[in-house]
Amino acid sequence: MRRKFIIKKTMYAIITVFIVLIFNYILFRILPGDPLSMIMRNPRATPEMVDTVSALYGLDKPWYTQFIMYFQNMLHGDLGMSFVYKSSVTGVIATKILPTLWMLGMAEIIAIIVGIFLGIVAAANRGTKIDVGTLGFSLVTYSMPTFWLGIIMVSVFCVGLRIFPVGGMQSPGMSFAGEGAQLLDILHHSVLPIITMSILLIGEYALTMRNTLMDVLEEDYILTAKAKGFSRKYILRKHAVPNAMLPMITIIAINLGLVIGGAIQIETVFSWPGLGSLMYESLSARDYPLLQGLFLLITISVVLANYLTDITYSYIDPRVKD
Amino acid sequence: MKKKLLTIVLSIGMIFSMSIGLSGCGDSSEETSQMVIGTGQFIDTLNPVTAWAMVSGEVFMLIYDPLVRKDDNLESIPCLAESWEVSEDNLTWTFTLAEASWQDGEPFTSEDVKFTYELFLSDVGSASMYGSYLTGIEDIQCPDDRTVVITTSEPKANMLQNSTPILPEHIWADFGEDEISTFANENPIGTGPYKFGELTDTSLTLLKYEDYFGTPGNVEAYSFVEYKNSDSTAQALKTGEIDAAMSLNVAQMDDLAAEDGIDVISGEVLGFTQLCINVKDDGVGNHILKDVDVRHAIDYCIDKQNGLDMAYLGAGTIGTTLINPSDKYHWEPTEDVLRSYDIDKANEILDDAGYIDNDGDGIREDSDGNPLEFDLISIADNAEEVKYGQIIKAGCIDAGIEVNCTTMDSGALYDQIIAYDYDMFIWGWGSDVDPGVILNVLTTDYGNEPGWSNARYDELYLKQAVTLDEDERIAMVQEMQQIAYEEAPYIVFVYSNTIQAIRSDKWEGYKMIPENGSYFFNLSIENYMNMKSK
Repeated sequence: MRRKFIIKKTMYAIITVFIVLIFNYILFRILPGDPLSMIMRNPRATPEMVDTVSALYGLDKPWYTQFIMYFQNMLHGDLGMSFVYKSSVTGVIATKILPTLWMLGMAEIIAIIVGIFLGIVAAANRGTKIDVGTLGFSLVTYSMPTFWLGIIMVSVFCVGLRIFPVGGMQSPGMSFAGEGAQLLDILHHSVLPIITMSILLIGEYALTMRNTLMDVLEEDYILTAKAKGFSRKYILRKHAVPNAMLPMITIIAINLGLVIGGAIQIETVFSWPGLGSLMYESLSARDYPLLQGLFLLITISVVLANYLTDITYSYIDPRVKD
Repeated sequence: MKKKLLTIVLSIGMIFSMSIGLSGCGDSSEETSQMVIGTGQFIDTLNPVTAWAMVSGEVFMLIYDPLVRKDDNLESIPCLAESWEVSEDNLTWTFTLAEASWQDGEPFTSEDVKFTYELFLSDVGSASMYGSYLTGIEDIQCPDDRTVVITTSEPKANMLQNSTPILPEHIWADFGEDEISTFANENPIGTGPYKFGELTDTSLTLLKYEDYFGTPGNVEAYSFVEYKNSDSTAQALKTGEIDAAMSLNVAQMDDLAAEDGIDVISGEVLGFTQLCINVKDDGVGNHILKDVDVRHAIDYCIDKQNGLDMAYLGAGTIGTTLINPSDKYHWEPTEDVLRSYDIDKANEILDDAGYIDNDGDGIREDSDGNPLEFDLISIADNAEEVKYGQIIKAGCIDAGIEVNCTTMDSGALYDQIIAYDYDMFIWGWGSDVDPGVILNVLTTDYGNEPGWSNARYDELYLKQAVTLDEDERIAMVQEMQQIAYEEAPYIVFVYSNTIQAIRSDKWEGYKMIPENGSYFFNLSIENYMNMKSK
């Protein structure tokens, strides 16, 4: 039964990725805008230059030829060459993927831990000042404009207190005493973006956790547990929280899948070399190969996160199997 | 479970506090006189044959030398070429080369020049940002190691404006065409005053080349660091994280000027921003715009002083013709032909041309009853140009012309331009020291955006390119600007400035190049060479 379920889900995942790939390919070409014009809007560019560059990137061939070539190359693991960076798409993405994973991954982990904790505290103290305070904090941070918060953090911590650098991931042109010093430099640059991002994410987790936990606390089996004479803490930990975690897993999985897409605004404020701003730049330059590469990556990670959630559910929630 | 959580939280906290303790170490750069420059753009590639980003060009100027450089007045001065002479018929140039060495120790010879120029004249090289500098060169000879003889098919007026970087033959000669177009050039070797140091995701560091054949620079290292928004750049300059900033905006200018120890300038850049009007014969745009009277009337409706103050916060000069006013090639419209803001004059022109408001809706119509109603496109993420569109709209309505402003992204706009499916739009062009570069954009062969074609303009363009006598050339170039101004396919409304800043408490020896120009991105490396730490 479970094996059949997993095979079915795997097939679905593969088909989804494939359809999204075709969709992306068409989507970028329907978009108005010619990549060549973006690379070469220069008074020195002559029509002959445009033709030469066009041939170089295979843009002079009909769209179906380009389409077939794209799939053939992709099956060989070759995602093509970026128009803007003039190097392989895999290479360009590879340099940006770690900064994004590190910054957003850390921010997510902090937000999940703090968010769940706040949600539990609020739900357990329903209606009290603690609950109202937590709720207020979550709602305010949840609805805060990303860019605004980023700039406020910069002016307080970088310009005012001068304890963190304004942007980037490393001090430029510094020769470090060793790996350790370099790592510390990166950490020092990471603090502010990570904290800012996690502040923005905490609200969603806290609110969801609070609401589901309150629903669970209304259930009959909680009353039963109370009747059995278990302590409030014990009921919360053993009966209520595990059951409230089910919807949380969905949210966490979806958010983790999206981590790879980066966070354009945070990356822009802190000049973080991540995938979000890379995507924005490649879109404004109509860098088709790079866009396709990035969307392929995002597609795969979202589909994979959902796939893993489905599988996890089939283990922790017996109802899903059927 | 809870204990584990606590450990994680605690260890994250520790990592953070450790890194806070590190903040004092950032200042060590001063001892080695390293200048960190914040840019709004990052290098696309280190390969000069395939790069197009402006900041890449700036970096190549420091790593590589051309034959001839620009001084602080943008006049030509010797670089790899110690001296030069041109034959009586103006077709043969003989360059005598300096004794220089490549940054990897190999000697520099005339063969390197021949190789480089032939590379940039080939198919792959001519499509580069330096390709057009070399057009017209027919033959390159190396009679000895120190001499290059270049023969051109016709006199080449821009020979000494040619800033093509000379590449080392011993590194590049092995590549085929395909390899050159994908070569990352991760460790570029040039003869220039600075050599490649380190490249990370957001920064590029250049180090002083001790064995430079000319006078070496004072600064030990230059780092170019990308900031993705100019507010952060301004903040980083205030905290001293960077020493200079290249692409600030006007809004930050007052804020930075109020700070002690920061020099902030609004410097002229070569180029202009224009209202471009569709005059293409078989284009899809509103045919009324093909009437030059209507274009002139629109020009009279634009309050250019107000536009400069409101949209550009005063950072620029009111626009007229294709070449900047500070340039010796500039043609200034005389009082009787100058079209400055004058609604009465616009109304008079339109009345005389027979555009009358017959249905009383405030908008004039042509003789067939078509209203003078035009769409104006601005590029959405360019706030200044979007604002300027509104100013044009406000002026035009007073003369009975309805302008509908829309915005779109540059990609979408470009598609409409190619199809000549637009009425008017706003964008700008960057220029170069040689006037031929900017004059080229309105030639028929270039496929210009307004779809304009003028036989006299095209003829003069070809003629000025082969005229070595400066006075004669200036006369031709000025006539071209006059033709373009009278015909008004472009309404040049502003020469906008660039805002740049340097920490004057730490650095000295820099100035605006040319006189009203900028610190950086000014086609000269004088500031990089003369910069000194205090």
